[in-house]
Amino acid sequence: MLRVANVSKRFGGLYAVSDVSFSLNEGEVIGLIGPNGAGKTTMLNLICGVYQADAGAIEFLGQNITAMPSNRICRLGVSRTYQIPQPFQAMTALSGVAVGVINGKKRPHMSLSDAALEASYYLEFVGLFAKRDTLARHLTLYELRMLELARALATTPKLLLIDEVMAGLNPAESSQALEMIWSAQEQFGITILWIEHVMKIIMSAAQRIVVLQYGKKIAEGTPQEIAANPIIIEAYLGGRYAKAE
Amino acid sequence: MIETIQSILIYAFIWGSIYLLISLGFSLICGVLRIFHLGYGATFVLAAYATWTFMEDVGLSLIPSLLLMFLVQIGFSLLVFYRGVFQRYLEQEEVLLVLSLLIFVAITHLANFLYPVTAGVSLPTTLVDGTLVIGKVRIAYQMLFAAVGGILVTLIYVLGFLKTRTGLIIRAMSQNLPAALLMGASVNRMYYVAMILSVIPPTICMLLIAPFWGVDPFMGSPLLMTAMLIAILGGLGNLKGSIVASYLIGFIHASVSFLYVSRFMGLAALIITLAVMIYRRGGLFAGETLW
Amino acid sequence: MVNLEFRRDRVLFRWGDQKYEWVIEPRYWRNPAIGVALLAILPIFVAPYPHILTMITTANLYAAIAIPLSLQIIGTARLNFGPQLYLGIGGYTAALLNLHFGLSPVFTLLAAILVCGGIALLLSPTTWIAKGLYFSLITLILPLTFLDVTFIYGDIFRGEVGLVGMSPLLSFKKVTWNYLAYFYLSLLLMLVYLWVCDKIVRSRFGVSMAAINENEDVARMMGVQVDRYKVFYYVFPSILSGIVGWFIVHTFRTFAGVTYLPLEFMTKILIIVIVGGRAFLYGAIPGAYLISIVEDSLRAFGPINYVLFPLVLIALIVFLPRGEGLWGLYHKRHHRDYYPALHVRRD
Repeated sequence: MLRVANVSKRFGGLYAVSDVSFSLNEGEVIGLIGPNGAGKTTMLNLICGVYQADAGAIEFLGQNITAMPSNRICRLGVSRTYQIPQPFQAMTALSGVAVGVINGKKRPHMSLSDAALEASYYLEFVGLFAKRDTLARHLTLYELRMLELARALATTPKLLLIDEVMAGLNPAESSQALEMIWSAQEQFGITILWIEHVMKIIMSAAQRIVVLQYGKKIAEGTPQEIAANPIIIEAYLGGRYAKAE
Repeated sequence: MIETIQSILIYAFIWGSIYLLISLGFSLICGVLRIFHLGYGATFVLAAYATWTFMEDVGLSLIPSLLLMFLVQIGFSLLVFYRGVFQRYLEQEEVLLVLSLLIFVAITHLANFLYPVTAGVSLPTTLVDGTLVIGKVRIAYQMLFAAVGGILVTLIYVLGFLKTRTGLIIRAMSQNLPAALLMGASVNRMYYVAMILSVIPPTICMLLIAPFWGVDPFMGSPLLMTAMLIAILGGLGNLKGSIVASYLIGFIHASVSFLYVSRFMGLAALIITLAVMIYRRGGLFAGETLW
Repeated sequence: MVNLEFRRDRVLFRWGDQKYEWVIEPRYWRNPAIGVALLAILPIFVAPYPHILTMITTANLYAAIAIPLSLQIIGTARLNFGPQLYLGIGGYTAALLNLHFGLSPVFTLLAAILVCGGIALLLSPTTWIAKGLYFSLITLILPLTFLDVTFIYGDIFRGEVGLVGMSPLLSFKKVTWNYLAYFYLSLLLMLVYLWVCDKIVRSRFGVSMAAINENEDVARMMGVQVDRYKVFYYVFPSILSGIVGWFIVHTFRTFAGVTYLPLEFMTKILIIVIVGGRAFLYGAIPGAYLISIVEDSLRAFGPINYVLFPLVLIALIVFLPRGEGLWGLYHKRHHRDYYPALHVRRD
């Protein structure tokens, strides 16, 4: 479904992402992990069209999306959430999701009230229906992340890119969010590429994991293989622990 | 042909150096306070007309008038612009811009009401009379002095920013304000210093060019426009950019004047600025830091 | 073909297989209807004073420029400091074509629309190429440059003096009826602009517009066609301003760039947007009437009014509640209404 082939991105003299390749099949949940500064969010931005790759190609459903603008990529079926939630601050939760409903794909006859109806369905799905008329700047962190999820789902994606949705949530909220993502995947049938730092979540949720460090892919495999891989342990914890293994 | 080229080069140099003075204060405020000072034109009008008021109505001679005028300028920019407008409306930029523009308009029309063009305002600030011939081009000594003055003032400012401690703090503030605050810079005092520093070049410019450019209540507007074009072309708030852009725009004005018709100077400069914006989005030195 | 059905509380329009329902809820159109009726019967009270009639006509025209400006500011997510540019372009097009080629007002209207639209399309790339503050500055400079051009080609544009003697839109036998008719026409123009812009803002395009104003990149990521919308929201209000220019040419029958292009006129329009209440399009109407009244009453003071007018405007901005503005005195903003943040420096 998604194929990233030898993609590189340079900022000045620094290679944020260099020669990374991986692919996703339909229905999978892939985790993307790595130490800080490994280039995970840059990779996400490259797939979404926020940055343009300097080298390599990205293919989605057979189409080359390397140089496509973000809105066309969204219409093809890619959606993302943001590491630091970026809601539309002065708009209510309902309006924010309605933007996604209206613009996510071609909807020539949709009026604002129809869009609001569909948006309220997505809000109800993530549990924010009671807050639909609250301005986004008054929502708590958990609600903001759920709003991001609702907004991303409202554009009816085939591929959902999740960027560190668990950061800053307490364990109860974490498990709720995980439940939400699982039910979204089942109900809407979407593929998920998930960047995460919280190892417990990603190890249990993902079927395959890609590990980046300093912009390069250093490993790929199932969670069990990754956990036992000495290169990964050295990347995260340093040489001492790798030798001790 | 040679004469045209000589004229273009000499006038490009002279105008470029004078434009340095015009744009220096503007870039300074842009780079340090991050505010677009649409009331900058008021500095020129105040410089000329405050001096005239002190000399004609109060009856002082030139030097005391100049000193008093400097005080008035500093007081006006600190009290009216900085404390009255910038500090209060920092969060609402559109109000800030409109208010400074309104103050500029009010000052212009006050000058026009008190001393209309027919009142014959002129400043006796000619340093040396007479003209000079370079190659085949005749220029007035005053113009040369204005150009040299412009270069001197710019040099002093640049050296000040690079070598002195205050300059270092101001540069740090323009690059990263939170970091400068954490390092203990006293931001408000530096803002005052920046506002005072920004008032000096346009005043000097006005005093030097008044003899040959003429004094007119509505001259603040074209001078503001030139300063803005230079700032846009060079990159907002960047001194290096202002210096390069001043000479570039001086060159454009000189070329258009001597190769074509002088009426099209402003239009040509605007078109070239727009063209540069297409290729380099932030201007020539897009960094929005002072140096 | 079109079937109308009257139910107890709604009217249904059907054509083909499409249905449009208008729910009759007087609470939504009662107050606007009263407001429009008040404006419409205003001339009866001011009939003895013909110069007040001109004043309120001018007020209607100011509002007609300020309403598309608000739409443009939110839609392009940039602050336009030169709304009077297209007023000048449209006005000069209409005036020159009328004087030199004898085209009737209808054709000059078409020409003004085409010319304004063409130039706006040409300049529309600045909305996405120039960063926020640079865009504002370029829009600030453009009208002044156009004013320069009118002086350069003074033989065509007649610089200071302006063009005079264009054909009127209507002419009745009595001159006062002309003024009355012009007032109602300007009122109609303003109300049509208000209705059109209101419909746009309340539709699904309005939600996308708000999203663009809030965060362009996120909006782009959600599939909003940001570039196309920006071009539309730049060109359409420009054409509307051009039509106002055409209207001025054929009603006042004189047009001088010096009146409409410099900074003073621009500050008037911007203050109408700021003081009238920037959260509402309707705020432009009380704002415009206030500015017009202030301008006219200061004129009685003689030449010092040019100094007093900016001072009064400063006082208005400082002392009037800015967010809600004049319209907010009548209608308190509901907390879930969209209150646009006007960003000047935006990357």
